Amino acid sequence: MTTEKTTQDLEDREVPHSPLAGPLDARTVAPEGVSDGPGVVIPMWRQRVRIFMHNKLAIASVVYLVLVTLFCFLWPHIHPTNQTNQNLALTQPFNAPPSAQHPLGTDSNGFDVLGRIAFGGEYSLTVGFLAGVVTIIIGTVYGMVSGFVGGIVDTVLMRILDAALSIPLLFLLITLVTLFSRSATFLILLIGLTGWFGNARIVRGDALLIRRLEYSQAATAMGASKWHIIRRHVFPNSISNIVTVGTFSVADAILFLSTLGFLGLGIQPPNTDWGTMLQNGSDQIANGYWWEIYPLAAIFILVVVAINYIGDALRDAFEVRLIER
Amino acid sequence: MFAYVVRRLVQSLIVLFIVLVFTFTLPYFEPHGILAPAYVVLGTRASPANVHTWGVQHGMYHPYLVRLWDYIVQVVWHHNLGFSYKQNLSVWGIISLYVPRTVWLALTALVLTFVIAVPLGIFQANKRNTVFDYTATGSAFILYAIPSFLLCLLVLQAFSFGITHLPASPPSGVAPWAIFTDPVGFILPVGTLTLLSVALISRFMRGTVLEVLVQDYIRTARAKGCSNRRVLFAHAFRNALGPIVTILGLSIPALFGGALIIESVFNYAGLGIETVNAATYLDSPTVLGITLLVSIFTLLGNLIADILLGVVNPRIRIQGEQ
Repeated sequence: MTTEKTTQDLEDREVPHSPLAGPLDARTVAPEGVSDGPGVVIPMWRQRVRIFMHNKLAIASVVYLVLVTLFCFLWPHIHPTNQTNQNLALTQPFNAPPSAQHPLGTDSNGFDVLGRIAFGGEYSLTVGFLAGVVTIIIGTVYGMVSGFVGGIVDTVLMRILDAALSIPLLFLLITLVTLFSRSATFLILLIGLTGWFGNARIVRGDALLIRRLEYSQAATAMGASKWHIIRRHVFPNSISNIVTVGTFSVADAILFLSTLGFLGLGIQPPNTDWGTMLQNGSDQIANGYWWEIYPLAAIFILVVVAINYIGDALRDAFEVRLIER
Repeated sequence: MFAYVVRRLVQSLIVLFIVLVFTFTLPYFEPHGILAPAYVVLGTRASPANVHTWGVQHGMYHPYLVRLWDYIVQVVWHHNLGFSYKQNLSVWGIISLYVPRTVWLALTALVLTFVIAVPLGIFQANKRNTVFDYTATGSAFILYAIPSFLLCLLVLQAFSFGITHLPASPPSGVAPWAIFTDPVGFILPVGTLTLLSVALISRFMRGTVLEVLVQDYIRTARAKGCSNRRVLFAHAFRNALGPIVTILGLSIPALFGGALIIESVFNYAGLGIETVNAATYLDSPTVLGITLLVSIFTLLGNLIADILLGVVNPRIRIQGEQ
């Protein structure tokens, strides 16, 4: 056995990798209070929920995400602000500092910044979440087929994946956005369709591994169909990786949308997303209009940190070694 | 070793072929398909008859495979990346000036990343679960969550308009090697690009060294009485080098993506800015040409990384020969 592999093999070996993973050693030790003592059998999923609930930061992350989502979708109804018509008559102040009427001031077009954060957040969160879902579905199906069918199909699918991975993602996104469209629906599809390569690799690695394990072979020997083995053995055993990597995909999708927005290729006016807002705000940063960029930047970064942290906590919850038997 | 290199070369050529087919086929799915350039040349209200004539003149109605073959010959043999009908220039004519500028930027950042991230990762693994380790890990965590453009803006705000007054933009319109003759202007862009990839690579390095440190030969080395320094740098480092070479190769796409953002924020005329401009003006041949070129660079980078891996680790090339 070699411990080192070439470019293609390396990622197959990786357990769902996040550069944000906590210290390795901490993950192998069960947190205190998780065990019910010897002899008490509790269902696995409940143990997983318990390990997740034990992680205070993860709970805080979930609460934060729920609050931000509620704010984005409810605030425009609680406190409606005009986010469509630019104020050409200058009846509304533009670049105005925070006041009672505009809690976070107004931007260079006279839009209320707090209302606009909610307005843009609707798009950023929706596109990010749905693109993440698309990523998970495509990556899982592709990886399962490749890993489980094996042989020539696997080789061909993996070479296609290599080709896709060798195109820098941002350039690929920009190409697709240029050739096709910039509507929200299309951005969801684009970010989803370009984000699944890593997921597919990891799922394929899992499928390859599980297919060779004893219980899969025993099922085959007992006459189980391939579909049955995929459904009952491969899928349940790789669900942890699928969910964990999927969570990181959502964070990545939100980041990619914001990057496209920053380059002026995101959600187009009259709608907006957080990246586009940050781009607009950054033009004003040198003028000292801090309210146009820093509050949104803080909310945005914390959203990404929270999603990544939830992914880490999910990985811990799925880690078999943490579960008391 | 020779067989190994040949095998990797053939693999890369197959992948290159798939990328070529992809960039060639994509325009077929555009609105107006491959006749879209006709509406650029003849105007958006061109009559269908004129568009048809244009298509005939430019061989747009030739069979798919014939056109594909022409395309591949043009790219591989004549280094022709396509023609921008919007700018009435060949794509290579538009970007040839910018290619070395971006490559220098990315290469400098790559070398700096290696020099900084590798010792940092080793040090973190050695001092794991200490304040230093947590600080470095936490910083990487935050750096990874900040969108790169926002990080650039914060860096710009802090070091160009705040604490120090470094130039906010590198010299443009000069020789591509200005990075060596006039380095002051490059401190911020190269520094930011390096910071972005260090955050990623140092984590890999830490994980890899941690994996190596539990191996039997490390225990043997310690039992023989090797000093900690010798264990780290003579044993652990050499064995962790393989994965790191691979990761550096794999990080090239991210590096080009990062360079795109850096160029946009710091206003450095390179491939990235040219891509964004072309995308803004819906100049799809230019965007496709640049994407193809960057993909070729990535393939080359991965190929070099894998060959280096064969040099570093004899087991790989022996495995390849069997």
